[in-house]
This record gives sequence, C-alpha cells and structure tokens, in this order.
Amino acid sequence: MIPQSFEYSAPESVSEALRLLGSVENSRVLAGGQSLIPMMKLRLSGPAHVIDLGRIAELHYIAQTNGSVRLGAMSTHNQVAVSETLRRSCPLLAEVAGRIGDPQVRNLGTIGGSTAHADPAADYPAALQALRAQIRLVGAGRERTVSAEDFFLDAFTTALGEGEIVYEVIVPADAPGLGSAYVKLQQPASGFAVAGVAAQVAVSGGQISVARVGITGVGAKSYVAQAVENALTGRPATAATLAAASRLAAQGVEALNDLYAQADYRTHLAEVATRRALEQALALAR
Amino acid sequence: MKVRGEQTLPLEPTAAWELLLNTDALAQAIPGCEGLVPLGPDEYQMKMKIAVASIQGLFAGKVRIADRNPPNSYRLHIEGQGKLGFVRGSGLLSFSPDATGTRITYEGEVQVGGLIASVGERMLDVTTKMMIGHFFNNLAQQAHH
Repeated sequence: MIPQSFEYSAPESVSEALRLLGSVENSRVLAGGQSLIPMMKLRLSGPAHVIDLGRIAELHYIAQTNGSVRLGAMSTHNQVAVSETLRRSCPLLAEVAGRIGDPQVRNLGTIGGSTAHADPAADYPAALQALRAQIRLVGAGRERTVSAEDFFLDAFTTALGEGEIVYEVIVPADAPGLGSAYVKLQQPASGFAVAGVAAQVAVSGGQISVARVGITGVGAKSYVAQAVENALTGRPATAATLAAASRLAAQGVEALNDLYAQADYRTHLAEVATRRALEQALALAR
Repeated sequence: MKVRGEQTLPLEPTAAWELLLNTDALAQAIPGCEGLVPLGPDEYQMKMKIAVASIQGLFAGKVRIADRNPPNSYRLHIEGQGKLGFVRGSGLLSFSPDATGTRITYEGEVQVGGLIASVGERMLDVTTKMMIGHFFNNLAQQAHH
C-alpha cells in the first residue's frame, strides 16, 4: 500500500497548474484523490508527477448567477450536499452528492475529480445528464464549455483533452414547481451505483410538462434516458404513465455485467430505480 | 468472461480478411500495442501499454493466429502478462458479406487474472468491451484510408 515514488507539485493558481500539466511527462492531476490515490497505493497507477489542485483557491466556490449555479471543480461532495444555494436552487445535485460513497469520501472527493474520472457507476453523472449541465474546461490559453451529454464519451473516457482540466460545472436553477429525486440501487460494499437514476418532473394541468432523466451505473457511460422522457412528456401524470415510461430505462443500452449484477438483472434494476425516482419526483412537483 | 459482438467494415470480405491478417494493421488496431514481432508462422510477440482510467500497465505477450479458413474465419489468441496481472483471450472471427461491406462477428472468451482482476472486477467487463470496440474502430479507420 505504498505508492511508487513521484514528484509532487501543489500550484496555487490554475495557470500554474496548466503550465505544469503541459510541461511534465507522465503527470496526473490530483483533485480529491478518492480514485487516483487508491490506484497509486495498489501500484496500478504510477504517474511520475502529481499535480495537486487542492491549494487553488479559485476552484473552491458554489455561486448562483442568473438562472444557474456554478460549482468550482474543487467543491467537495459534502460542500455540494450541504450547500444552501443548491438546496434552494438545484436540490437534485445536493441530494446526489449526499449519496456518494461515505463521509470520508464526501469530505475529500470533488465534483471536478469525479466528473473528469467518469467512472461508469459514479453518482454525479446521472444528475449532470438529467440537469443538462455544462462543464467548463480550461487549457493553456483556451477554454470551452461542453454539455454533459457530449462530455461523457465512454467508461473513464471524456471530452477532456490533453492539457485540459475541469474548471467548473454549471447547472441550471430549477424552474418553480419542478420536483426532483435520485434513487440509487447500490453495490452494498462499495456504494457504487448498480442503477442510479436522477429525475426531474413538472406537472401542468394534470399532465407532465417537463421530464428529465439521467441514468448511471447501467451502461458503459451515464446517459439521458431520452425514450423515458419522451414517454412522459405531455402524458397524464399517473402511476401508469410512470410505470410504462420506466420500462424504457435501458432501451438501446448494453448493460454492464459484473459479479454483483448481471446485465439482465441490471436492466431490471434500471427500470425499478427509474420508476421510484419518477414517483418521488412527481410527489414533490407542484 | 464471454465476449461476442459484430462490427462492419466497408471492405469486400477478401480485403477485410487481408486487413485483419496484416501485421501492421493489427499492430495499429490493438489498443496500446507497441508492435508485433514475428516469432514463427502466425505467431507474434507483442508489447502492450494499457491505460484505462488512472490504471497504467505494460503487458508482454503473444498473438497467435489459428484455424485459418480464408476468407471466412480464423481464430485469434492473445495473451499478455505484466506486473498488474495477466490477460488471455481467444476468439473466433467470422467474415460474411453484407450490404455495406463485410460483417465481422466475434465470439470468444477473455480471462483476466492477478492484481488487476481482484481490484478491478467491477471494471473488467466494461473495459474489455471498450478495448474490443477500439480495436474494430481502429480497423475501420484503416479501411477508410
């Protein structure tokens, strides 16, 4: 459990971090260290240089701007979970953050790190997909903003380019009346999602006017459950509508297989988690 | 773990067959492959550098081609060993013409053992599928050139 030796830098600004990232070979960016450090201790990962973002003050913030909430990449899961701003404007993201791992992980792990790591069973991606979040990336002398749907490309694979880091995550503030919920059926030992569903529902005149569903843990990457959303929008807000739509949760998705959950079981769990998340979100919609 | 799937290449079956037996094409298509060195007929030495998530590792092993039945099918054996563990895989690749070129179906078994398997069991299925996907995408790109 002792990692290989490595060089360590703790820059105090993003520009300095980017300069290091562009100039040292075989370097890794360290955010909260909840994925990278265990791999280094097991010697499955052996970067020559670790660039720690922990001392970069400009990456620590959760701030409301007009119509959206911006979260600096180094916001910890716990800061997201207890944020008054989010509880008020985007409770779904706070709820998801509170379900990640255990208290130790939540006190160190960060939204930027989890997003960049893109574990197919991580919790945040479900919410970021449902919320249609934007992810702002910076590289030396350049920056761009990518939608969550375009950011998560495959398991552990994102749109993040060579020499880029996640700077912030931007989520829209909820419209009035929107109900939201996150339901996760989890691997009991690791807490990772076997099926995790983030849902938002709004109702108008007895019909579902807004339905947004993001799913994690089921396929190689998180996704927007487009078929579910289509089967809800404009339909009566009834249990039957929710149940029928939930059956489409894993449509077109090749479900993962592992010792804990085989593909067909996982597909079933996706349906169950989707139905429960929709029921809870609908109950909160006004 | 069992793997199966199919992929289409925009080539005639004979051309697809040749591409999938071309050492340079295979070396470029196998994810992380750092070259194939002939050891004998249909047998090559291979070095592979794997990088998935934060995991990095070097594997040294062999690629072997067997049961040639041109241009219909052949069997590909891959084995590799490194500090992180071992990988062994064997699969039958079958070629059949279809509307846009050649459909290649594969069916086989992959075994992963050692440290990487005990720690990363949750990631094996998804990583294996991803690497097979990259292999065929890389081949498809070569077929376009």
